[in-house]
Amino acid sequence: MIKLLFFGRLGDFAGDVAPQIEATEGLTPALVRESLAADYPALAAELSQPQVLVSLDQRIARWDQVISDGAELAFLPPVTGG
Amino acid sequence: MSTNIDIRIQDADFDLAAEYQQLRKLTSAVGAVVTFCGLVRDLEKQSVINSLSLQHYPGMTEALLQDIVDQAEARWQLIGVTLIHRVGQLLPSDQIVFVGVASQHRQDAFEAAQFLMDYLKTKATFWKKVDQDGQQYWVENKDSDQLATDRWQRDE
Repeated sequence: MIKLLFFGRLGDFAGDVAPQIEATEGLTPALVRESLAADYPALAAELSQPQVLVSLDQRIARWDQVISDGAELAFLPPVTGG
Repeated sequence: MSTNIDIRIQDADFDLAAEYQQLRKLTSAVGAVVTFCGLVRDLEKQSVINSLSLQHYPGMTEALLQDIVDQAEARWQLIGVTLIHRVGQLLPSDQIVFVGVASQHRQDAFEAAQFLMDYLKTKATFWKKVDQDGQQYWVENKDSDQLATDRWQRDE
């Protein structure tokens, strides 16, 4: 399974998205975003904003990076701390 | 000599005087301490806010802050660094962030403190949500913060 996390404003769009998804061969953050588009079009549009980053197991990752089973995938809008 | 690093993410407030004393007393080689405190402003989009809530990504935030401090250590001669960032609900005038740097000479402390703050603003996984008369919205990032961070990369 892969754990999904949505931070900041992305969390408002994620609503009832399942917190975990099945791990499949060759799955990437970009493919996860694509798979969300059918049921959550507003969320998928937000995830497609150029400033949104992804992390895998708490390290910044590429959208085309392959996700291993058991990983934690987080979607990160631009940060606004400090 | 390794730098004394103290990174904290907490709900609780902090005491500027106590943090300064901690840095001052690290070793007798300390010749300069620079401290910065960020506060919650009462205005956002020209309107008064009721409160601010801060979300972060536990685990990743600490690792990113450590990485930012590592970069500062590689650029300046530092004796101590303290980074404190509050999370949870905050009110106007509340303290939100603290950066303190101790070094032998002032230039290292001044520059490292500004670098740490600029990087924290654009790299560390914190998100602010504003409550304004019952309306809640997430704060947008500012281009000026990114420019402040980019400036350090040009200097390299």
